[in-house]
Amino acid sequence: MADSPGRRRRIRLSALIVVLGVAVLVAAIWTDVDARNRSSEESAALAGANTHLATLRHDVATTQFAKAVTSAKRDSLQASIASTTSQLAATNEALANADVHAYVQGVGINTLQTCLGGVKTALNQIAARNNTQAAKDISAVSGPCTQLAGGSGTGLVYPFDFPDPSVILVGQTYFAYATNSVAGNIQIIDSNDLVHWSAVGNALPSLPAWATPDYTWAPAVAMIGGTFVLYYAVNVAGTADECISVATATQPAGPFLDKSTAPLECQKSLGGSIDPASFIDTDGTSYLVWKSGGPGSSKIWSQQLDPSGTAFVPGSNPTSLLVPDQPWEAGTVEAPNLITTGGHYYLFYSGNDWNSSNYAVGVATCTGPLGPCADASPHPILASGPGVAGPGGESVFADTAGNFWIAFHAWVPDAVGFPNSRDLYLRRLTLSGPVPTVATSG
Amino acid sequence: MTDVLEADRRPFPTEPRARRPASRRTRWILWIAAGALFAAALGYLIPDQVQARDHYGQAHTALGVARQQTQTVTRQLDELRRDLNILKTQVGSDSTALSQDSSQLLGAQTALAAAQAHVTQQKSLITSLQTCLVGVERALNELAIGKLSNAIAALNSVSPSCTAAEASSG
Repeated sequence: MADSPGRRRRIRLSALIVVLGVAVLVAAIWTDVDARNRSSEESAALAGANTHLATLRHDVATTQFAKAVTSAKRDSLQASIASTTSQLAATNEALANADVHAYVQGVGINTLQTCLGGVKTALNQIAARNNTQAAKDISAVSGPCTQLAGGSGTGLVYPFDFPDPSVILVGQTYFAYATNSVAGNIQIIDSNDLVHWSAVGNALPSLPAWATPDYTWAPAVAMIGGTFVLYYAVNVAGTADECISVATATQPAGPFLDKSTAPLECQKSLGGSIDPASFIDTDGTSYLVWKSGGPGSSKIWSQQLDPSGTAFVPGSNPTSLLVPDQPWEAGTVEAPNLITTGGHYYLFYSGNDWNSSNYAVGVATCTGPLGPCADASPHPILASGPGVAGPGGESVFADTAGNFWIAFHAWVPDAVGFPNSRDLYLRRLTLSGPVPTVATSG
Repeated sequence: MTDVLEADRRPFPTEPRARRPASRRTRWILWIAAGALFAAALGYLIPDQVQARDHYGQAHTALGVARQQTQTVTRQLDELRRDLNILKTQVGSDSTALSQDSSQLLGAQTALAAAQAHVTQQKSLITSLQTCLVGVERALNELAIGKLSNAIAALNSVSPSCTAAEASSG
């Protein structure tokens, strides 16, 4: 039986519908599968990316930790470096200081050894009774020994035992005389600049027969009538009497010769006479000033000398110039030194205990060489201070330019009292005011 | 009507049924079933595909974010590694510097100890020399005025210092 056209049309339509439906389904399935596949792939990629990201983040965390640890280590190292550098700097500084200290010590040791060597040599020379050479030996090491005694800033110019100095200017040369010590009975040193002093020797090689050896002190020299006259204190042999004698020389360096048969002055009833000093007034008249008595009874005297300077003017008598009346003097005035300038008379003197750091220098003003005198100040004009202890035994003189100086002895502060040395100091003296003033340094 | 009449003329059980065209009802049922099946298939496939595409889109977006983060983290990691390398280099140089400084410090401390020992030794020598000098000078002053026994006593009092000074001076 043949299909009718309608049926064939329906069949074709049905087939077409089916084919279309199948095609739609296939397309839907295909796209669905494709979407699923793409989704799965994307998910897998996402998972991989997340895994990678997690790994990276882990690496980041690990690296951050490593960085933190390393940074901490670096900071610790840098702190250690800073600390070490600081320690190194401090150590190097300490080392440099130690080296400097060691160098300074080395210089000091060399100075000490040089000074000690000179003193030892001098000691040996004295033991061999060669006092002049002993004086030259210590004089040769004066520089190093001056440094050891504190340097020249205090006015120290001769760092050896040179008590009761007396300085005169002859021509262009200064001569200083002192109590018996290394050089002998009366020591002499000289200088052309007041800074460098050299030993000359013993001004008084021999003593008169009535004198006791090794007891000569407090010299003073003046040129009177063309002759150099030396006054000095001396003990009378066989007694305890302390007296003043006189010797003469044609040269300031001596040798001075004492032809006396007896002391020039010896106030036995007053406890003896010592510390002589000559004074030549503006009219050329010469005087001798000195001290009598001991602690509590001391007194300073003046008396005119005859034109030779070796004796007092006949008929003259000692005149009292000064007695101890100030607390700082502690009952003792001694070592007088009278000068005149500008119409004024100044009597310099020492007070208190010579063997202590209380010793000091005072000044009185006088109306003339025979007084009367009065203290210019209730206080000493020169006393213990930095680098100087117990200054005294002064001698005032003018230099070649007319400037006044005061020469004095003093102990080094940590070595006060005999047998330590009383060294020689020089300082400028100003006489323009009502009270003379002494410079505080050399 | 013709088909129905023809079917009625055939003997009933012996006529092959497969050859018989499906009834209109059956065909409709088949069409409806097929349509339902088609609709069901589409009803499943379309949402599924939408879901898959959504999932894809989310995954894609997340992947983009992840890749961006990866780039960021990678850059961060690179910077960190660079910093770490710099730090390690610094640590290396600092360690060397510290070692050198420590060595110098040790040397300086050793030198300082030696210098201080030298200073102490010289200080002792200076003390001995000063003491000796004081005694010898006292002896000199005593002997200068004829006090021999006093001079000897002064020398004896500083004899140990003088001996020590001479020994130290070599």
